[in-house]
Amino acid sequence: MLVAHYTLRAHRAAWLLGAGEDADDVVQEAFVKAFRSLPKFRAGEPFAPWLLSIVANETKNLLRSRHRRDALALRLSALAPGAAAPDIPFDAAVAGERRARLLAAVNELPDRERQALVCRYFLDLSEAETAQVLHWPLGSVKSRTSRALGRLRGLVTPEDQGRVLHG
Amino acid sequence: MAESAEPPRAPQWRDALVPELRALSPWLDVPPAADQAATVRQRLEAQQNPQTRQRPQARTRPIARWRTRVLYPRWRAALIAALTILALAVAIPQSRAVIVHVLRLDGVELRQAPGPSPVPHPSLPGQQRMSLEQARQHAAFPILVPATLGQPSAVTVSDRGRVATLIYDRTPYGQVRLDEFDGHLDQVYFEKFVQVGNVTEIKVSGEKGLWVTGPQEVVYVRSDGMIVQASARLTTGSTLIWGTPRVALRLEGGFSKAAALAVAGSVR
Repeated sequence: MLVAHYTLRAHRAAWLLGAGEDADDVVQEAFVKAFRSLPKFRAGEPFAPWLLSIVANETKNLLRSRHRRDALALRLSALAPGAAAPDIPFDAAVAGERRARLLAAVNELPDRERQALVCRYFLDLSEAETAQVLHWPLGSVKSRTSRALGRLRGLVTPEDQGRVLHG
Repeated sequence: MAESAEPPRAPQWRDALVPELRALSPWLDVPPAADQAATVRQRLEAQQNPQTRQRPQARTRPIARWRTRVLYPRWRAALIAALTILALAVAIPQSRAVIVHVLRLDGVELRQAPGPSPVPHPSLPGQQRMSLEQARQHAAFPILVPATLGQPSAVTVSDRGRVATLIYDRTPYGQVRLDEFDGHLDQVYFEKFVQVGNVTEIKVSGEKGLWVTGPQEVVYVRSDGMIVQASARLTTGSTLIWGTPRVALRLEGGFSKAAALAVAGSVR
């Protein structure tokens, strides 16, 4: 069950970091590399960020080998998630439109800034974990996240800003 | 005008934007992940046994993926996951803590590796023979007794109440041994040395358990993580490992799987 759990997280990370249809292969390669290099893994260290750092590296290699500068654009699911926000029907359409606009804005971000947001908010990693996963200094995580959020604010149209405050 | 009056990086809008991004997360379209456990296991095993190595699994070939999906349908995923962990254990004997973290098999850790040589008269540290009633007082957890096996021929408590052992002599199972230990603690009590093919995951009274066939080396692990050489022995038969919320158990003897499950189902 724990391996299944890690597979889902690893796959989600690979997909959201831009591996697209190759996410499954990235995960397989990451697992094999992780298991082979387990002796380098320090006991007591959380396993997930360490595994995800290998996933992120494999994804980067994949994108490089494909000569693909840009990761694939993220999409919204056609299906509502199981733990959907309690949207009342009247607001549902507005909320859907808002999500689409926000994600479009995320897709417009420069790669590294998008990666920072993906790790921090879509993979729910801390700043320190993001630094480990993306092999960046902690300061870069902070500055890129901050810059990305600043850009998103700019991409969200002014009349939305009141709505943003309501989250 | 209102715009310029606002500080450029007001925490207010940022504090609102971050939760909105987090709320977006479950709406993202991420396709289901393929079950990689079988292929990963094969690749690790191929690495482990170079003489039996076959063509390595293609990494990005659709055929490899297709084959994996056909050979290993979803219902076997859980079993394969367990086996993968065992394969994992092969590759990394020195990182025991990692395996424990991943595996958590009710206090029993499985490793595919040669175990320590059995000693002539294996015993657990501080092993004391006593009556079942006395054992109930000394053990750090409630002792469970399988109703189908009748009265134990011997009861021991070891390592200051950390483990209780019930011994039975039961035809046709031979000597039956039931080790019990604190099930809710995330600790290793025993290490078993097994072959991957001898382990299957099964349900014991609705809970996850493992069925390990054939004699294997087993050794006791103290609370500080050290292996107790004096406890190294060969199991007498097959082993069923399972747990209740409070107590973890390993049942050992000349059982068929069905017989072992019947015994396990009768513990009270």
